[in-house]
Amino acid sequence: MGEMVMENKTKKQSLIVTISVIVFFVVSAFTFMNALYCLSDIIGSTVSGSVDIAIRDILRSVPVFLSFFITLCGLMVAHTFYRNESREILKRNAKLFAKAGIGIGAVLIVYVIVMLIAGKYLSIVEGAPSPIYPLDACLYAVLYIALGILIHMYFKKHEESGLYEGPARAPISKKLGAIKYFFRFFWLMFALYGFCGFFYSFFIVDFLHGYVAYSLAAMLISLVVFLTLAVWELYYNNLSPEKRSAVTLPLALISLGVTIVAAVIYFIALKGNLDGPTNVGFGLLPVAYSASVNVATFLVMIVPMIVSVVALIKGVIRKAANEEIL
Amino acid sequence: MKKKVFSILLVLILLFSFAGCGQQVKSSEHLEDYVFTMSYHDNFNILQLTDIHWNANTSTKSSMAYLDKVIKEANDHIVETQGPGAKIDLVELTGDMFMLVNEYHLNTFVDYFEKKAEEYGFLYAPIWGNHDRQALFNPNTLAKRFCNAPHCIYYEPDDELYGRSNYIINLTEDGSANSDVDWMLVHLDSGASFSETELTISRDYDYIRPDQTEWFIKEHTLYGEDIPVMAFYHIPQDENETAWKAVTEEGAELKNKFFRLESFGDNGNEAHASDFIDRAKEHNLKAAFMGHAHNTDWTYEEDGVVIGLGVKTGDELYFAHVDANSDDEAVQMGLASVGITENFDLIGAALVTITDREGSFDLEHLYYNERKDCDFVKWVKW
Repeated sequence: MGEMVMENKTKKQSLIVTISVIVFFVVSAFTFMNALYCLSDIIGSTVSGSVDIAIRDILRSVPVFLSFFITLCGLMVAHTFYRNESREILKRNAKLFAKAGIGIGAVLIVYVIVMLIAGKYLSIVEGAPSPIYPLDACLYAVLYIALGILIHMYFKKHEESGLYEGPARAPISKKLGAIKYFFRFFWLMFALYGFCGFFYSFFIVDFLHGYVAYSLAAMLISLVVFLTLAVWELYYNNLSPEKRSAVTLPLALISLGVTIVAAVIYFIALKGNLDGPTNVGFGLLPVAYSASVNVATFLVMIVPMIVSVVALIKGVIRKAANEEIL
Repeated sequence: MKKKVFSILLVLILLFSFAGCGQQVKSSEHLEDYVFTMSYHDNFNILQLTDIHWNANTSTKSSMAYLDKVIKEANDHIVETQGPGAKIDLVELTGDMFMLVNEYHLNTFVDYFEKKAEEYGFLYAPIWGNHDRQALFNPNTLAKRFCNAPHCIYYEPDDELYGRSNYIINLTEDGSANSDVDWMLVHLDSGASFSETELTISRDYDYIRPDQTEWFIKEHTLYGEDIPVMAFYHIPQDENETAWKAVTEEGAELKNKFFRLESFGDNGNEAHASDFIDRAKEHNLKAAFMGHAHNTDWTYEEDGVVIGLGVKTGDELYFAHVDANSDDEAVQMGLASVGITENFDLIGAALVTITDREGSFDLEHLYYNERKDCDFVKWVKW
């Protein structure tokens, strides 16, 4: 009976953690899109020679950027619980990310107060990009500070026993630690970008003015970028090291194939809609607009391409090594 | 399971095929549908606001405070020069009203212009710029918002013409479609940008396509070939650069004024030179006004047609700080043409006043800079 209660509790905890990862990922994607819109306009001012306007805009939009980093901290906390690599890693990383979230939230609130006093914000609900900006960013920060404090209280309360007992995932290899960490972060950003591009496309893309093929291709690219992360992170990284070795090569081949096919489809669609990117694509991919090049939308495919090629090389090497042992 | 997947795929395919193949209107069969009318009177005042560029970083409150000042200044100037009762009749928004915005910006923008239109008694006519297509909402949302705004003149049919919206405002004797047309104001969507091939790295700005020119000619022929015409669009065509080179490199004696502190941002490729100005000249074109290049409001006259960029409105995205002590030849040439001897920012508005039915009009550029002690306000006549 006792075991059954424990099992139910673990299942419940695991479900909460999984839902938290999804919720934080979705919210991060939206805050990321807001930040990208601000960043793209700032890049636009900079490349047009109005650095003073770029600086003014950065100062006004700091809460937008900080909101994204706060959400990212939340996502990292949830992800640390999700991976649950070991008791020590869970405790150390979750507390660290919670602390970072609290710190950034506090900075955001102080920043808004200072800007209000300095008269840079005309009111606490000045408006744009939302009707109650920057108040909404402050409320968001308060919420995350409260969540961060709750995480700390949780670890304090369960210091000795009763810490999260959901499924534990095998640790990710520490080889090339810093490079790997950088690429994983980079990869996450592109996945958020892809998710947002795909999600927003349902609201942004206009299928009525002759850009159907290009619109679908742009949606496909966004989806592929997001799915690449989902498959490698949620499937591959959850496997035992032995199973990982076995599936690396086939998964890499599938991943590379899908990425290449999506890229080819994109170029075929672009051939038929040479004005597609500016008429359809850049609302979805604002940084692509800032890059001001035709193939900019395609640039987002580079990350899944790199990931697939690296995995392919790794898979081939592992296969060769295994054959040698046999 | 297989059946289910097949059904879903079929529904999706049908959905997208319907979306892409709606019943298109043939413009030549519906020429009257593209035409709005307003009542003509001598001293018909058109205020051109261009490249307002609200974006994700914009403080709409600050921007609206600036627009308040510019509109008030323009209206006061009109009353001062034309007498009581004179007012802004029409506001032309010549593109790039936005760049990477959300629906909140759009709604705030339209609500603002509705309020001002009510306050000053004008109508406003928006034109698509290359950046107005880049937002967190479907371009149809923007079109619908403009279509449904009571003081906004806008038409966007699902037709075969290039661009989202091409339309005409006829200034008629009594404001109705049944009376004589005195002036024709043609509005063209000059597109965004495109690449030569799918593998070309760079993109070129779009241009007014031959089918748009053909449509205008049909409209003009329908209402009377003697009617004077004024055109409004966003992206300058090749004529501006050609005239600039003729003036500065070949010493051509064309009347010209104002500043050219960056390129016009036209397509630049001879193969894509638009036929609009050349053909419209044969159809009594008197002037063409546009926006797009923020650091440029250079205007010239050739063959009796005035072609020029408006003054960028507001300080969003980028604009030129004109340094009166600059060694730059283009800056000095501009300063000499406007007679300003102090530093200022190249932002403000342009005012076009149609003075008679024969095709005459006045043009003034307003440089309006907000300053701590006293705003810099300078009107410069063409």
